[in-house]
Amino acid sequence: MFAQFKKYIQDKIKITDEQFDLISVELVSKKIKKDTLLLRQGDVCSQVFFVSKGLLRAYTIDSFDKEHIIQFGPEDSWVSDRNSFYFNLPAMFYVDAIEDCEVVYINKEFYEKAEKIIPGFNSFTVMILHNSIRFMQRRISLLLGATAEQRYLDFIELYPNLTLRVPQWMIASYLGITPESLSRVRKELATKNFKPH
Amino acid sequence: MKAKSIQQILLPPAPHMVGDGFRVHNFFPTGYNIGKNRMSPFFMMDYNSKIDFSPRENPRGVGVHPHRGFETVTIVYHGKVAHHDSTGNSGVISEGDVQWMTAASGILHKEYHEEEFSKKGGPFQMIQLWVNLPAKDKMSKPKYQAITNDQLGKYQLDNGGVVEVIAGEFKGVKGAASTFTPIEMYNAKIKKGAAVTFDLPENFNTGILVVEGAVKVNGEKAPADNFILFKNEGETISIEAEEDSILFVISGEPINEPIAAYGPFLMNTHEELEQALEDFNKGKFGYLED
Repeated sequence: MFAQFKKYIQDKIKITDEQFDLISVELVSKKIKKDTLLLRQGDVCSQVFFVSKGLLRAYTIDSFDKEHIIQFGPEDSWVSDRNSFYFNLPAMFYVDAIEDCEVVYINKEFYEKAEKIIPGFNSFTVMILHNSIRFMQRRISLLLGATAEQRYLDFIELYPNLTLRVPQWMIASYLGITPESLSRVRKELATKNFKPH
Repeated sequence: MKAKSIQQILLPPAPHMVGDGFRVHNFFPTGYNIGKNRMSPFFMMDYNSKIDFSPRENPRGVGVHPHRGFETVTIVYHGKVAHHDSTGNSGVISEGDVQWMTAASGILHKEYHEEEFSKKGGPFQMIQLWVNLPAKDKMSKPKYQAITNDQLGKYQLDNGGVVEVIAGEFKGVKGAASTFTPIEMYNAKIKKGAAVTFDLPENFNTGILVVEGAVKVNGEKAPADNFILFKNEGETISIEAEEDSILFVISGEPINEPIAAYGPFLMNTHEELEQALEDFNKGKFGYLED
């Protein structure tokens, strides 16, 4: 049930099977159908979602009903609304499933228990947070100061297979450009890189 | 010659949608988990059993997607499929026609219900088969064989039936498609009460889909939409038609090479799959408007 999550953690820190059994009582694993909403903007988010299989996304909807994708969550990703999970404030984001998924729901009790039982767990969560901050900083920097092509090239390096898994408009939404601009970027890349046989 | 033994007669697995235009039963590799190599050189078979689509102004289908490392073969029994690809080819596959597209080093294409068919709606039935390529040909130039029904080799059976030879050779009648490895592929249209036999090499992986009607295969009953999977034992398949029937017969020499598959790519190694993804993302497959 938690095999992928356990493997992920055990690859990163020293944690015995017995220790994992003790903390796993706080976890819930769910099979989720495509299009299921896991979190609604305005609700309080009491969980962090770990994606064992499938693909989640976190997004906002603006006053013109337009969706803006904040994060894609493929396998081995953590998806959450930290504003809500850590500070108990209303969630800023919606989270839903783009594909059928297997998701581990992680609550605060899990973190508290793991920190008590497992030496090094605290450093592990700090590392995850730093990684997440580093990623967000890069994303802000690209959104403010990079061309659409640079953002697209960065995206395909980070998520090479998502171009096959999500529709163009979602990629455009994540990049902060229109679907037409994304088409243009892809067309220009093809013009540069395509060499007929 | 010895009778070719039947391994199993497979019911159509639960259907799934490919895009919004194709409601398909996947007989292999995933439908029955028979293994990626079990039907080599055929890697995948999606079968859209006959189903009525309601009229629709905007044609249903699948948008732009890439392929590399293999060939797609599309056979239409009812309805019409329109397609466009990044090499500039486009056309309509009508009832009885076959499209044999060699994606090889890479192609982008899209497939839809043909506009007029979509507006009218009606019965739709087709097969899409993925035929693997040997390593030496995986990066060859994409090509495309649009084979209309009148171009298919035809062997007339005694009582009004016909064996349409798509690839290979049946009783001296040659198939219309050129293939990279030895492949036999036929549509056998057999009248009720008639019999026909196929002699196919023991080492060739062989299967028959009952597209229409009901038959006895080596004495075993097989109704419409079932797929008969043969063992690699014996050569002769004896068919007796219990109704007017159409059989789709495939048989091919296995390609004994490793298979690495991800989505629309079919290569030999994981590194080649990563390369395919990168090439697709960077526009090296060309461009096709959605």
